[in-house]
Amino acid sequence: MSRQPFPDLARIDAFDKVQGKTKYSSDVPFPDLLHAMTVPATIGKGMVTSIDVEHALAVPGVVRVLTPHDTPPPPPGPQGSPPPPPMLVHAIAYRGQPVALVVAETLEAAIEGAEAVRVSYALEPFAVRFEDADAGREDTESPTFGDADAAFATATTRIEAIYTTTANHHNPMELLSTTAVWAGGRLTIYEGTQGSNGLKNTVAQLLQIDRSMVDVISPQIGGGFGQRGEVPRHTAVVAQAARLLRRPVKLVMPRNQIFHNSRFRPHVQHAIKLGADANGKMISAHYDCLQQNSRRGRYRSDWYHAGPCKVYGIENYRGTSGDLRLDTHGPAQMRAPYEHPSAFAFESAVDELAFALGRDPVEFRLAHDTKIDASTGKRLTSRHLNECLTRGAEQFGWTGRPVQPGTLKAADGTMAGWGVGAGVYQAAMHPAIATLRVSANGVTRYASAGHEMGQGMRTAIAQVLIAGLRIDPARLTILIGDTTVAPQHSTAGSWGTASSVPVAVAAAEKMTAALAELLDGRKVAGNMHEQLARLRRPFIEIEVSMVAPGQGPEHLERLKTGGMAIAGLHGTYPDFTALSYIAHFVEVHVEPHTRRIRVPRVVSVADCGRVISPRTARSQVQGGVVWALGAALREISETDPRYGGWLNADIAEYHVSVNADIGKIDVSFIDEPDFDANSAGVKGIGEIAMVGAAAALANGVFHATGRRLRTLPIRVEHLI
Amino acid sequence: MTDSPECAAGGIAVTRRVVLGAGASAVAGPALLKGHHVHAQPVPTPSGIENPLLLSFTVNGSSLELDIDARASLLDVLRERLGLTGTKKGCDHGQCGACTVHIDGRTRLSCLTLAAKMNGRQLTTIEGLSDGDTLHPMQTAFVDHDALQCGYCTPGQIMSAVACVRQGYASSPESIRDFMSGNICRCGAYVGIVAAVAAANSSEG
Repeated sequence: MSRQPFPDLARIDAFDKVQGKTKYSSDVPFPDLLHAMTVPATIGKGMVTSIDVEHALAVPGVVRVLTPHDTPPPPPGPQGSPPPPPMLVHAIAYRGQPVALVVAETLEAAIEGAEAVRVSYALEPFAVRFEDADAGREDTESPTFGDADAAFATATTRIEAIYTTTANHHNPMELLSTTAVWAGGRLTIYEGTQGSNGLKNTVAQLLQIDRSMVDVISPQIGGGFGQRGEVPRHTAVVAQAARLLRRPVKLVMPRNQIFHNSRFRPHVQHAIKLGADANGKMISAHYDCLQQNSRRGRYRSDWYHAGPCKVYGIENYRGTSGDLRLDTHGPAQMRAPYEHPSAFAFESAVDELAFALGRDPVEFRLAHDTKIDASTGKRLTSRHLNECLTRGAEQFGWTGRPVQPGTLKAADGTMAGWGVGAGVYQAAMHPAIATLRVSANGVTRYASAGHEMGQGMRTAIAQVLIAGLRIDPARLTILIGDTTVAPQHSTAGSWGTASSVPVAVAAAEKMTAALAELLDGRKVAGNMHEQLARLRRPFIEIEVSMVAPGQGPEHLERLKTGGMAIAGLHGTYPDFTALSYIAHFVEVHVEPHTRRIRVPRVVSVADCGRVISPRTARSQVQGGVVWALGAALREISETDPRYGGWLNADIAEYHVSVNADIGKIDVSFIDEPDFDANSAGVKGIGEIAMVGAAAALANGVFHATGRRLRTLPIRVEHLI
Repeated sequence: MTDSPECAAGGIAVTRRVVLGAGASAVAGPALLKGHHVHAQPVPTPSGIENPLLLSFTVNGSSLELDIDARASLLDVLRERLGLTGTKKGCDHGQCGACTVHIDGRTRLSCLTLAAKMNGRQLTTIEGLSDGDTLHPMQTAFVDHDALQCGYCTPGQIMSAVACVRQGYASSPESIRDFMSGNICRCGAYVGIVAAVAAANSSEG
């Protein structure tokens, strides 16, 4: 691959998106379609004692009401495999859990029918607030190396603080929806999912049919952010309804119900102790994280350590972590799932230590450059964090920043503050199998693993195919998110581009070689299509496969059966550690009377390896910053101790950033390839974009006001 | 406040009784692009329509009549009956702006609009904004400034953005941000959206 920067191509699906032509799952029409609506549990915990469907069935247009009797439990899976989500069951684990599914000829009838279902319950006590947890802490073993206690005892400067990050919901704009169609003995599911492979396997398991009979189509997702990484409970229920009724069935779940049934980012309490020696070097870190989980939740508490134990080469680290179990649905991945909360806590603590030492927070971070992952002793492949910090400081105009807080004033007299925060995120990858066909008629068809949720995966793939092939870009079709065209793997963890681009590069190279072999030294004019036409060959089709560093054929097999096959979890490979890096610089304004916080500008510099699609990468970072500002200033999912579930379960009361909340966000990239990680030199961008920016904001609030706020979100009332 | 030029420039109004069911979506969708006549195949109105009402209105320049459920929102009629799925459901409660359309030239949230109130009205949806393959300048600006990511809120953003320029609120970034704050973009494409609206405003003079 050439080392030239890639051109600033427009997003290849933007033309359709601006015309409303893009088909998301609930946009696909079917004749004879039935509409479904879920009936949510109205208690916090307990048992369903009866479901009266008589009134619902009397609503004109209602054709069936599915209850737990219609969704038998599946046989247990292979030993050691996690249980699939149950479909409809009598045991209510959390408020909002679906109790029944009403199916009707029209959406209006389904909604009225769902409201007419009468459910009786036997209530049980429940706990949904972190402070109300009724059982003890469950500890999980966490990264620990060196001797943090001894080093802390010798430290000459120490800080110790507790930080809190609160529960958040993803809230992509597209509602959760499932359309299930049975035809010719096959089930096809249309659903916006980040894991069409996992959804296929789970639905097959729940319906007790062979996985080869299930297809999942998810070509465009209206926002993922991790919400679409887990198989929702309702999916198989809708498929079961379609099976029973022998007609296509569509459910679009109302947003209020999604709050209860989707996963979420849990509430976490972070306790941190940092110690520095007389030279101002960080020599000891203690980090304890205690998170909320559900009663049977599997979301791990120890992964918050992934970033803090690697970022600054601190040689003595003691990590501890644990769960408090509550009666909500289980928490799970939400953008920068562990890294955003842990970076808020750890980067705030680093800022506190730098201040205690009287050091500039940028210079203090620069002084902790490292070539080694202290948690494993492995080589860090390409750590350009210092370049991110240096370039960001220059672009921001950091020079001359007073160390003392409360000294900067904006032109209009408001208190101003400048904060910095840094982040790391794994550079991970999964295997892929791609097919590429270039045809004499001008068409190019490419199929591989991946899901397009707005991050720009199709545009990144198009970049390398257009660069590597002499084809007509206007007639290039990229098929991803479809289990019928190629083995699919879940798209998350910023492994999308790293997994989809190298295999696309290899496909282009193999195609070029195949055509050269066909030409056999003959000079034939034209692009690839024209050459094939002149050679009277209708098309050439090739297939390539690729695995990540350290992987073998068994990982390709796992891909083919729809399993997870990730390499580079937490950046760890057999011989090295590969991470993405970022530095954020935030200017904060605090109005002296109202204490309203505004963020007029942010500068972010990212080291995500090679930048394949400059335009969509820039948008990803801007979006990640918008997410961080929302999490830092507005977003909190409040639980309801009286009735269970989430209290502010809509987007009028759960406040995400709107346009007026966002100012300038300047983004740039180091754009240095990491060829250890993969042949395209890509490390990943979607998650690192958010990491550290909330801390940069909180550090800016401290700089503006002298008030150190350690709980997100930071609101006006915390500054009065 | 002037009438929407999109509506005024619509095709010849051919009033015909069109009874569209869900199955006609694939047929009806393209037919309701701006300036096209309706050639929908008559299919049965779905059973289960309670208190049917005969609705007569103009969609992207084409006159339509169909029986609707009295309870139906305009958004659900567009999506589930007329196959105009460019208008999106993001909350169904008037909180997100994804369902923004123009009714008689003014921005309206179709999820909060009873379809029954549309009698005699002129409706423009995202499908009616471009002229065939020639994009509206605001659509071009959204592509040029990458003012979108997943694209789900984009139709609503563009309908509001067109109104922002038309109503004279695109003169400064602050004014654009205020005007556009009823349209949530969870991907966070706001920087691009402000740039696109400003650029479209300049190009339209």
